[in-house]
Amino acid sequence: MAFGILMLASVSRFMANGWVYSLYVKPRFYFPFYGFEWVKPLGENGMYFLFVLMAVTALFIAMGFAYRISALLFFLAFTYVELIDKTNYLNHYYFISIAAFLLFLLPAHRYFSVDAFLFPRLRATHAPNYFLLVIKLQVFLVYFFAGLAKINSDWLLEAMPLRIWLPAHSEMFLIGPLLAQTWVAFAFSWFACAYDLLIPFFLFIPKYVKKAYFFVIVFHLATSLFFNIGMFPYIMIALTCIFFSEKFHLRVTWRISNFLQKLRFKTAGNPGRKIYSPAKPVLAFLVLIFCAHFTIQLFLPVRFLLYPGKLFWTEQGYRFSWRVMLMEKAGTAFFYVRDRKTGRETEISNCDYLTSTQEKMMATQPDMLIDYAHLLKSEYEKKGMKDPLIRVEAYVTLNGRPSRLMTDPAADLGKEEDGFMNKKWILPFTEEKK
Amino acid sequence: MLKRKITGLIFITTALVLFAGCRQKKKGEEAEPEVAFDKGAMLSNYADNLILPNFQSAKTAMDDFAASYTAFTQNKTVLNLLDLRSKFVLAYVKYQHISAFEFGPSESEIIRANFNTYPLDTTQLNANISSGTYDLAAANNIDAKGLPAADFLLFGYNTSDTAIVSRFANSANRVTYLSDCISDMQTKLNSVISTWNNSYKSTFVSSTGTSIGSSLGLLVNQLNFEIDLLKNGKIGIPLGKKSAGTQLPEKCEAYYKNTISVQLAKECLLNIEDIYLGRSVAGSDGSGLDDYLDALKAQHNSGTLNQAIKDQFATAKTKLALVNEPLSVSVMSDAATVDAAYIEIQKLLVLLKTDMSSAMSIVITYQDSDGD
Repeated sequence: MAFGILMLASVSRFMANGWVYSLYVKPRFYFPFYGFEWVKPLGENGMYFLFVLMAVTALFIAMGFAYRISALLFFLAFTYVELIDKTNYLNHYYFISIAAFLLFLLPAHRYFSVDAFLFPRLRATHAPNYFLLVIKLQVFLVYFFAGLAKINSDWLLEAMPLRIWLPAHSEMFLIGPLLAQTWVAFAFSWFACAYDLLIPFFLFIPKYVKKAYFFVIVFHLATSLFFNIGMFPYIMIALTCIFFSEKFHLRVTWRISNFLQKLRFKTAGNPGRKIYSPAKPVLAFLVLIFCAHFTIQLFLPVRFLLYPGKLFWTEQGYRFSWRVMLMEKAGTAFFYVRDRKTGRETEISNCDYLTSTQEKMMATQPDMLIDYAHLLKSEYEKKGMKDPLIRVEAYVTLNGRPSRLMTDPAADLGKEEDGFMNKKWILPFTEEKK
Repeated sequence: MLKRKITGLIFITTALVLFAGCRQKKKGEEAEPEVAFDKGAMLSNYADNLILPNFQSAKTAMDDFAASYTAFTQNKTVLNLLDLRSKFVLAYVKYQHISAFEFGPSESEIIRANFNTYPLDTTQLNANISSGTYDLAAANNIDAKGLPAADFLLFGYNTSDTAIVSRFANSANRVTYLSDCISDMQTKLNSVISTWNNSYKSTFVSSTGTSIGSSLGLLVNQLNFEIDLLKNGKIGIPLGKKSAGTQLPEKCEAYYKNTISVQLAKECLLNIEDIYLGRSVAGSDGSGLDDYLDALKAQHNSGTLNQAIKDQFATAKTKLALVNEPLSVSVMSDAATVDAAYIEIQKLLVLLKTDMSSAMSIVITYQDSDGD
């Protein structure tokens, strides 16, 4: 229910900010995910339709009305939109997709919902514990991998990137001057790392849930104060409620029910105890899906081990790994198109093809450099140039290090393919001597 | 039990933090006490000592140009034309010192596009003059007005001074057209200055954050946009960087006056440096981006990022100084020298746009969106 309300707020905010237009209608070109190149934006009306659909289904999820179909539609619409352009990839959008998927599989509409009111047959007071466990496990993984990812020398020994990000707020009332202190960045780094690693364990122990939840609130409110991360803190705060005991949730639903009665809404009386348990084949199917889901969830965050080189630099295996707020990375990419026949070269104005956000994201992410190179290649082939050579000089700075070339400036990116193989044209990351 | 655990956790964290702190000290860094940088004071310096004085002198130069034009229209002589031309050059030079401040009131007046869209669309301009009916605010006239239009009307047509004077003498429409172009710029400058004085200055100085839309964010974004204009519009495009190496001399800034293109580029670079240093019109170095970078202790290889940027400014200025006027000739006959300047300006651009902006945690984009 809370998920539905938050998603409604989130989707509305997205539309109110005009982001539908600027992110999914205005750009000439989109960066699709590898394997999902068939996911295309649906034109202005189509995109607004998707967002309205998301808003409506989110509202229905909150009400528990036509729950399964709403959750499924929300999941599909949301995921589709996210797959259009990896420029807009955010860990918390990925998390929303996963949560929507899991909620679709869970019987979360059986007790306090419009569905249960309209179709008493569906009503059940109790559900097997493993349904809750699924969500809990997912939240656990998010925190734990986020914590593991923080165990790296930049984060712990250099307090990077917090050492860059916190002093940027030095004008803040009262705490501002503190933020400029290096030791504060260290304290934040170490605390955040310990928090991410420990909080999921404490949340699992009923005795500590309340105290742990207090930390959850403090932590996420702090992050929302310092960083521009949209709805994510509130989503985590809301979803972590799931760790609370049954009594807590009953109290909340009882209050809402009272409130509705005061407004003279009819609510269903208290039903007798009824346990929801799915039929055997359905259950087996669900278990299979959950197992597959969590196997993938365990694999994705560690897949970077399969690639050589420094993860932050190459970003091979970076997405879908709960690596949040770990890098201050910025870059400038100069693209050149060379006519092989004449050897003459033209420098590209990226703003002719990309929005400024796309340009910014592209400059630091090797797989996006390839996508863009392929776009340029086809544009110049359309203009009549035969087999143009596309090369890039991408200057990138990572966590306060001097900017330098990230990729081989001579490599013909038009000939390189994106994929899961190691990208050999990424220049090795070498630490400069201090 | 719980209390003990939490206390333990806090203790461990504190110990680790202290440990990390000690480690730092041993490395010999952070010797001086850390003081929060006063961004408000820096913004005040920008508003009071750079932005407003530069707008004021741009206005003075534009008003002088307008006055000289009035004198010329009343008495169309070659002597008056020469005075008018010198006032035009001065106005163009002063414009280079306001172009980078395209935020707030300047953004609403779209100063850059209205004042200096080049190359000029001479067909459109000639059509406007012969018809005598035009709307300078219309989008299709954006490249038929402003300083490039004045440049063409005062220096164009590849003809003698007397011929130019007689063109004005023989066409009331021509006289009106340039007059309209000049007053268009005057109106916009006056509006920008009065908004700055009346309300925008306090908005600018009090917005001390670094997020998108904050004063520092706007200033740095426009600074980067300006150096991009210098690299591409002023030098790269005429040099053929965007046209497979085929030089396009007719795309030089102030192409008809012809002998000030390099000078305008130098003025532009100088203004970028002034902004970086927080250096006032009078030449005194106040609180600026350089001081902020030092306060943030931004490093670059063995030295500070600030020093690296200052050095790169010096290199870029040296290389640009080697380029001869007119630029339209140099790009053809001395392309290597122009290219050397271009490369150094590009290096400076990377330092400002990537390293400096990253160290200040300023996002280079005009699009607002979430991060994670």
